[in-house]
Order: sequence, then structure tokens, then C-alpha cells
Amino acid sequence: MKMLLFIILLLSSFCKFAFSEEQQIIAMGDIEYGQYLAAECSSCHHKSGASEGIPSIHGMDAEVFVALMLAYRAKDMENEVMQMIAGRLDDEQIGSLALYFSQLEPPK
Amino acid sequence: MSKISRRAFTGLAAASVSTLAFPSISLGAVPKVVVIGGGAGGATAARYIAKDSGGAVHVTLVEASKRYYTCFFSNIYLGGFRNYGSIGHNYYGLAVNQGVNVVHEWALSVDAVARKVKLGSGEHLSYDKLVISPGIDLKYDSINGYSSAVQDKMPHAWKSGTQVQLLRNQVMNMKQGGTFVMVPPPNPYRCPPGPYERVSMIAHQFKQSNPSAKIVILDPKPKFSKQGLFEAGWQKHYPGMIEWISSEDHGGLKNVNASTMEFETDLDTFKADAACVVPAQRAGSIAMAAGVNNGDWCPIVPASMQSQADENIYVLGDASVAKSMPKSGFSANSQAKVAANHIRGALTGSRVFDARYSNTCWSLIAPDDDVKVGASYVAGAEAIDVESKFISQADDSSETRAANYQESIDWYNGMTADMFS
Repeated sequence: MKMLLFIILLLSSFCKFAFSEEQQIIAMGDIEYGQYLAAECSSCHHKSGASEGIPSIHGMDAEVFVALMLAYRAKDMENEVMQMIAGRLDDEQIGSLALYFSQLEPPK
Repeated sequence: MSKISRRAFTGLAAASVSTLAFPSISLGAVPKVVVIGGGAGGATAARYIAKDSGGAVHVTLVEASKRYYTCFFSNIYLGGFRNYGSIGHNYYGLAVNQGVNVVHEWALSVDAVARKVKLGSGEHLSYDKLVISPGIDLKYDSINGYSSAVQDKMPHAWKSGTQVQLLRNQVMNMKQGGTFVMVPPPNPYRCPPGPYERVSMIAHQFKQSNPSAKIVILDPKPKFSKQGLFEAGWQKHYPGMIEWISSEDHGGLKNVNASTMEFETDLDTFKADAACVVPAQRAGSIAMAAGVNNGDWCPIVPASMQSQADENIYVLGDASVAKSMPKSGFSANSQAKVAANHIRGALTGSRVFDARYSNTCWSLIAPDDDVKVGASYVAGAEAIDVESKFISQADDSSETRAANYQESIDWYNGMTADMFS
């Protein structure tokens, strides 16, 4: 969670266009495609988020989701698995996933 | 209550639409999918087809066991890091939450022309699409002197269940300073890093309860998965305990004698006080009965996981020829999602998206020293091809290795929820 906040702060502090870029990516999204793509995420991400290493992404804000995926894709955030997963997602796919996960119920 | 009525309602609505678009399905009938095998491939396929079709497809899962013990993490049990009950799962979630009809029986044969599966009870199940995800069978006779009759003396423990618990008991009861012999399987086999993680976990146990014990690995191969990482880990955590002998050095295992616990090779005859012997493998026998195999394994269409022999049958996981994808629970789970999307498309007209696959294998070498290897894959014309990959580095920090272990535990929870919830 700390890492997440850090990334949001980082992106909003020195990317003036960050939110517009994220919104553009979200606008490309297709929620049904997102549901299909999300199955890959569900191999590791438990919906409850009870874990310490792999967070829940259910109900995650779409712009935060996009920002995180762009950071993994650019290898600005560390984790080999996430860099690999994000590395092959194009903007439409990231937007689709962001839309899909943002409308799920977040963990209680 | 509202969940059931909504499911029934959408099921009827979707089925009536699909009969218009797909005249091959008889009027008004809900299309039927039968899934054989309730492991990482089959349970995932059943869950995703049922969940995503919202009742528009009738899904029956045929699995003999009422309680399923995962093969993945059985090594973590062998190392004493968790109890056996913690890797057991039931099928209530699939039945209650997803509406899957779970049938605890053996599937005996498949009539691919009539599209029927014969069960052990003699009953037949009709299908429009069949998923076969039977895992592996062991080729006991691939090792001279080894057989199912001696598997309790020298457990393979390569299918989860009582064999794994037996092996744990034999490790715990081995005489002080004794020798443990591990015989890994030849390629291709379920879980490529598995035998070497197993050695690591047994070494971890010995370090505490039997520190002068030795482990000899008589490998039928000249190299193995994550070899550099494992060997460095063994040197660091268990110096002098583990000896890996390549096939090039021992010249091949000529014979095993379960009475004397001797392993005969060109190099020497090794005497064991306890052993784990994992023979060569092939697709589970129902795949052979269905006629979707070519030799030991089942060729598939990379874009859909359909059998190359029958477009109405999909083969998932260890039994399939997925080329560069390893035979792992993660791979089977990934393949199941591609097949589920394709099956729903064929039966209900839902959108079919491009196949995409991925896999990651974590291996625990010692407490908080966990290494991983993974790749993403795409469907090529001939095979499933690697798109990108990664492997842990020899100079990873101890924090990274510890984080990997935590990640693997979280993955286990995520994966088993993705299969069974």
C-alpha cells in the first residue's frame, strides 16, 4: 500500500499530463475484453487481498491501475513477474483491465 | 435464492439466443460441457465456463477424489513448512458458487462419435464439448526393477496424496547419517524444478533432524531446470550434503532393487536408506482411451487447446503437448482460461479473444531463499511460443529471495481460489 501511494504521488507530482494519459488509456478500454484478460491476473491475485506480497486488485481505481501498469511496463517498478505481464500489454489492454477491475467489489 | 433464479433465467435466455446462431445445438437445450479431471486445468476450466456463461452452459466436472491435494506445494510440506491438510481442497465452491455439477467418479472411456463419456458407474454423460485434463500417469517400467508393487518402498510421490505423506515419514525415520537417493524423471515430466526443490526441502529437514545424512541424485539427464540457482543454494545452505550425479557421469540407471535398496549404475552401485524414485511419465490414461494422444502425449491447437484429433475435445495441462510451456499447475490453469473462452464462444456465441498464456514456477531452496522462473507465451501456427521470460538472478539480495517466498504463498492462495472458489 505504501508503494502504491508512493507511485501515485510520484506520477502526479512530475507528470502534468499523467492523468490525461491515463484517462485516454481508460477510454480505449473494453470491459468484456478486460474480463478475459483479467483471468491471467487471477492466477496470483486473490480477491480478498489478505496476503502480504501480492495485493488485491479488485475494486482498484482505474487511473491508479493504469499508472501502476505503465510503471511496470516501463520497468520503473521492480518485480519480474509484473514487468513480464505488463510488458506485453498494450494501452487498450491496460485500459480494459483497469475498467474491469475498477467495477469489482473491493475487499472488505 | 436470487442468485439461483437469475442464473436460471439468464441461462434460458442465452440458450435460446444461441440456438438461433448455432443450429447444431438442439432447440432449447442448454449446451453441455463435460470436464474430466479436477486439477489445475480441469477445475479452472469448469469454473470459468460456468462462471462466465452465467448458466448458459451446463458444466459437469468428473473427478474421482472428493478431496484434492495439490502437487504444487507438496514439497513445502515435505520440508516441514506446512501440514498436509493445508494443501487439500474440496469441490463445494465449484458446486455451490458456480453451479458446476460435480461427479465423483472415474471416467472410463470416451465415445467421440456419439460424444459420450462412460463413467465407472456405467452411466454415460453426453457432451457438446469435452475437456480432458487428466494429469500424468507413471511409466513404472521405464526403470528396471521399479514397479507399482514397490512404490511404497521407494515412493515416487509424483502424484499428490498418500505417497507424499509416505515419503515424508521415510525422510523423518531414516537412520542417522544414512543416504537418501533421489532419482528424478527424464524429460518431459510434470514440474521441471520439482525434483530439485524436493531435494532442497529434504535437505532442509535433514539439516535439523539428521545433519550427517547424505543425498545422492542419480539424474537421467545431463542438466536440469534452474540448475545454477539450485546448485549455488545447495552449496550455501547444505554444504557437503547433496551430490548431483549427471547421466553423463553415472552412465544411466541400470537397475533398482527395492529389497536391498540398491541402485546400479555404470559408475557404482549406490545403497540407499530411503529413496524417492520418479519414473518417466505420459498423459493420464483417459486421454489414450479417448484417442487424442500421439504416443505419450496429446497434440493440441495452440490458439485454443483443442485436440488436433477432435475439435470437440480440449486437452489441458500436463497431458498436452504445449511445447515451450512447462508441465505445471500454473500452465494448466492458464491453458484452461484460453479453452474456456473458446468453448463459450463455440457454444453461446460469446466473444473469443486471442490466446495468451503465462507461467511462473517458484522453488524454495531454504527458508526465505526462493527462486522463480517464468514466461509469457503466444499461440504460434505450430506451437505455443515463448514471448518473454525471466529467471531469478544468482546475485539477488536476500530480501528479494524472501519476498519471492512470500509471493509464492500468496500465489498458492490465489491459484487455489482461482481453481476451487
